Amino acid sequence: MGRSVIVLFAMLLSLPSLSSGSYQDEFAKGFLTKTWSGEQPEENFCIECHSSDKMKPEFLTIAEEWKASWHAQNNIACHNCHGGDPKDASMSMSPHRGFVGKPKPSEVPDFCGKCHIGILKNYYDSDHGKEFRASGKGPNCVTCHGSHNIQKANIDIISEHRCAKCHSYERAKTMKQALFLTEKKFDELEGGLRKLRKEGVYIDDDQKNLFNIQAEFRTLFHSVDVNLVRDRTNEFSSKLAVVENKINSTFGELRFRKNFSAFILLIFAAMATVLYLITKTPRD
Amino acid sequence: MAKNKIRDWLEVRIGLDELLKSQLTEYRVPKQINVFNALGSVALAGYLIQVISGIFLMIYYIPHSEHAFRSVQEIMTRVPYGWLFRQIHVVGSNLMITAVTLHMVTIFLMGNYKRPRELTWIGGGIMMVITFLFGLSGYLLPWTQLSYWATTVVTSLPTAFPFFGDFATRLLRGGDYVSGITLTRFFAVHVSVLPPLFMILMGVHIALIRRIGLSSTPFGKTDEEKRPLTEFRKKTHPEGHAYYPYLFQKQVLMVICYFLIMFSIITFAPTFFFPEEASVPADAFKTPENIRPEWYFLAPYQMLKLIPNKFLGISLQIILLFVFIFWPFLDVQKEKNIFKRPVLRGVFIFLMISWVILMWWGRR
Repeated sequence: MGRSVIVLFAMLLSLPSLSSGSYQDEFAKGFLTKTWSGEQPEENFCIECHSSDKMKPEFLTIAEEWKASWHAQNNIACHNCHGGDPKDASMSMSPHRGFVGKPKPSEVPDFCGKCHIGILKNYYDSDHGKEFRASGKGPNCVTCHGSHNIQKANIDIISEHRCAKCHSYERAKTMKQALFLTEKKFDELEGGLRKLRKEGVYIDDDQKNLFNIQAEFRTLFHSVDVNLVRDRTNEFSSKLAVVENKINSTFGELRFRKNFSAFILLIFAAMATVLYLITKTPRD
Repeated sequence: MAKNKIRDWLEVRIGLDELLKSQLTEYRVPKQINVFNALGSVALAGYLIQVISGIFLMIYYIPHSEHAFRSVQEIMTRVPYGWLFRQIHVVGSNLMITAVTLHMVTIFLMGNYKRPRELTWIGGGIMMVITFLFGLSGYLLPWTQLSYWATTVVTSLPTAFPFFGDFATRLLRGGDYVSGITLTRFFAVHVSVLPPLFMILMGVHIALIRRIGLSSTPFGKTDEEKRPLTEFRKKTHPEGHAYYPYLFQKQVLMVICYFLIMFSIITFAPTFFFPEEASVPADAFKTPENIRPEWYFLAPYQMLKLIPNKFLGISLQIILLFVFIFWPFLDVQKEKNIFKRPVLRGVFIFLMISWVILMWWGRR
């Protein structure tokens, strides 16, 4: 009697979970997405529309391109450049929410320069910028960096195939040579930081610091002035040396930790051996 | 000379000689005693190591969602030897759980949970559950991606229960999702709810062991305890060895081995318990690709995924836990030697193998 009551009770209790689809679905729904992920990820109507079937084909690639970009990796989303409200479908493209849409070609430098302020100034001071201002044509941000699929700035952007479209590659090549060592150092230090992260070291602060130095360095060569780059390379070298020293000293600290705990390990090993011998020594 | 003076001073006040005699040399333990009998003291040492290293960590740790991650990083990088204490605490927690589990398993195999030691077993079982709760509550405190999401997984388990499941999860989390409130809750539980509970149970556990006396049947070598037990009789072992130095040395040796394992991990695999997600601060908006709980919750987690009904899955686990804790009352056979009980042995081996398989499976 008692047992059947328990069984009946258990069956009653399990009814709600039996009634709604297979358990695997329920598990995925109830555990994997909803209650597990805490606050839901923000909805983004820009991405939603630009991935839907209703979108014109030429606008369909934008979302995918952005997802692969350096901007996406650094949480720079559509509205950060284009304005609008990504959380509200009806207002997503409203000028009242700051939507500016696609910039005209002549507006591109100012569009990007909202955030890349230092670079904008250097660019306008350069021959590239002067030409662009005078004629409304000429190389601007998207010529070298692309628009949505913006990749991490890299010395390889300075290439014959790009620069020789408008002029001879000679001057650009000299610029690339002047940048080479400093850029290589940036790569090296980033590699070092990645390695430290693998060792369980928190590196975000150093990474930010390195990022800032790099950003400052990048403003420099948008002036397309080889002499300026050469003059200031030493300044950046000394800044990078500080980061490098910190990375090296962290590696040194990790080595010290290993040695220190190995030393304690040896002490315990010796204690264990002595005690083992004592216990094995015959006594009355 | 000075030593004698202190000794004399203590002798007058606490009766030192008599105390040492009764507790160390006159306290006799069975002849057949082996290193497995020392596992309990390893678990005790493991707990003390956690308490001491935990106090050092608490001095620098800030239990607030905005500062917790940073404060742990400060412990790792700026506090002198902070890294060592954190490593000891983290590696120690995993080793302690291992020691407690091994202790329970060997006591089970030796049949030492049987009359008159049922209460000792139940106390130990509850202490094991508390040890897991220590692990669960401590895991969230560094406020990393790993700890945040592992806690999200574990605290979602009660939702499998209709009616009060959601309430239980909300109670644990202090809201709909793991947040700063959860962190404060878990911190309070970790440092001020669980320790006194554990200490009381530990006191009772040790008092019971001393009161009843150690069992003399390691792995069923003798069956002299088959005598009927109708009245309380302390098990003394007049023919056995003195506790000091005989068992004491074994215990110290095992504790040193515990330290050996701990420092081997810290030296040769310092990132063993610190995968990359453990150096990324918690982010409620970014779900990592592989969410899974700590290794000691992997088997129940996998079991829950496999059983085709949430409620039954969780109920089964709770029933298994109760069966485990109250096992001495369910196992009514007098035979203590598991080698003479093929059914029990079969069940035991089956459970062990399933545990390992489920844990391995749950890792993926």
